[in-house]
Amino acid sequence: MATAVPAEHSLPPARKRSPRRGRGWLRRAALYAFLLAGCLVTLLPFVWMILGSFKTSQEIISIPPSFWPETPTLQNYRTILTDPKLPLLRFYFNSLFVSISVVTLVLFTSSLAGFIFAKYEFFGKNLIFGLILVTLMIPFQVLMIPSYLILVRLGLIDSLWGLVVPGATSAFGIFMMKQFIQGLPSELLDAARIDGAGEWGIYWRIILPQVGPALATLGILTFMGTWNSYLWPLIVITSPEKRTLPIVLTWFNSMHGTRYDLTMTASVLVVVPILIVYTIFQRWIVQGFTLSGLK
Amino acid sequence: MTGVRKPRPNRWQRAFSTQNRGRSLFVASALTPLMLYMLFWTLLPVAWAISLAFFDYSPARIGAPPLGFGGDNPFVGLANFQNMFGDLKEAQQFRTGLKNTLIFATLVLPLNLAITIPLAVAIEAIHVRVKTLFRFVYFLPTVTASVGVALIWGYLYHPQQGLINMVIRAVGGSGRIWLTDPRAGFLGVPLALWSIIGTYLWWDMGYNLIIFIAALQSIPREFREAAQVDGANTWQLFWNVTIPLLRPTLLFVCVLTMISAFQTFDIIQIMTAGGPQDQTRVMVLDIYLNAFRYQRMGWAGAVSLVLFAMILIVTFVQSRLLRTKWEY
Repeated sequence: MATAVPAEHSLPPARKRSPRRGRGWLRRAALYAFLLAGCLVTLLPFVWMILGSFKTSQEIISIPPSFWPETPTLQNYRTILTDPKLPLLRFYFNSLFVSISVVTLVLFTSSLAGFIFAKYEFFGKNLIFGLILVTLMIPFQVLMIPSYLILVRLGLIDSLWGLVVPGATSAFGIFMMKQFIQGLPSELLDAARIDGAGEWGIYWRIILPQVGPALATLGILTFMGTWNSYLWPLIVITSPEKRTLPIVLTWFNSMHGTRYDLTMTASVLVVVPILIVYTIFQRWIVQGFTLSGLK
Repeated sequence: MTGVRKPRPNRWQRAFSTQNRGRSLFVASALTPLMLYMLFWTLLPVAWAISLAFFDYSPARIGAPPLGFGGDNPFVGLANFQNMFGDLKEAQQFRTGLKNTLIFATLVLPLNLAITIPLAVAIEAIHVRVKTLFRFVYFLPTVTASVGVALIWGYLYHPQQGLINMVIRAVGGSGRIWLTDPRAGFLGVPLALWSIIGTYLWWDMGYNLIIFIAALQSIPREFREAAQVDGANTWQLFWNVTIPLLRPTLLFVCVLTMISAFQTFDIIQIMTAGGPQDQTRVMVLDIYLNAFRYQRMGWAGAVSLVLFAMILIVTFVQSRLLRTKWEY
């Protein structure tokens, strides 16, 4: 095919094909150049943030601005980490407490409900499962006002539990666990029953150990979602010491105005942990997001 | 229970036999509390939100227990919805929000696709090892906290200290006031809104990218090979083979992108707070401000239902279009 040189007018598509092989390296180079340029644009904001965190307060407001820090300094990190008005450890604890609680609850409720929907027959099963899927369409903005009013009545406003309790179940989590558990052989369950295992025992000792990867994916997605969440803590939390990291970050920014050296340092301290989590669990995270997209 | 056919009694009998009692008990005892809990945090709030829309409700006023409706929070029927067409200040703000949300979503969608589809095709065309690396990098923004994104981009856009103006000045242009200049615009859309769109695209593209990569991987290779044998060039391959095969995914991605664009809040609230002169005020910001700043929860509830309706319409259109079968 590649060596055929047909008359120009009779077979135009084939004519185009032969030079393409010869220019294969050129195409590949263009492809990589395109992808690398995209990477540059993607990474530049992060680089700008990290560079900003090492600049001095004079340099950050100098005109024209510098790209590389002229006298790189750790002073910003020292300032933030030792600021008595900014108990950063407390805020890390708040965020961790909320995220870990939500993850634990979501993993438990999703795997249990997913197991039941996958492996049991009961009246109204498809209807109930369908309703759960329908709730995925309800936007958070519709739920947030009544949820706030419910929290007021439960006395959970301005409490970290107010961030945990409404998020203890996840429709997406149930869906995902059901899909995964359906793939497990039912003989496993029957064998356990013959050995005298109860249904809770089957869930705890047979199912849970088998669904590790799915739990990991769901757990990481839930963790990142909760850790990064902004609007709900903004509504629920009012006391300064109960803020989670994203709220602290905006509050810090409003305190320091154009002190971007400090704001960027604080951003690094909030953004980088989640980027590390992402780097470690990349495979599961990408898988999970693909799945959540293809629901 | 007349005219019940055979399978049904069997199922009931099965459910209540001794052998299965343990299972039924397990399902009932484990699932019932879970489902009631979900009802409590989804169905109850939805019903409550719908009710709110028909009241002039403010949490600051005393109403009748348990929901606080009635009393100083009177039932107003459809007034909240009728007022959306009126001259009230909140109605004008609602219409601004609606307009901005629609502009935002309709610009984000094509721009997002114009970036993510070529990127996905390019990533799919390279060697497997580097593929993972590129995917890793392109997905970094998507896992970043929205607050971090907003602050980083606020700094990038800063008129004096920001990188973007620095680059523009370095190549001989003059810098712009990206986020706060009410007179600046491009193609009839305020510059501040464009700036938010830029940030949003950077933040959100990784999501569609990995979906497209997954979809491209699932296209059988024979189709592309057959087209190549027939002499299709790269461009023809892309337009006439890849894109039609991507169509179900494409449709789905369009809906998801629209819906999440409708719901954008964090970066706008932090970067511009809706300004300058409400040019970036979107519906969710409007809902948030009305409900939690101005204590107009009835009105905010009505606006949130309009948003819900928009999402339902987009979803419905998608399900209609998807009913056409594409098979490969």
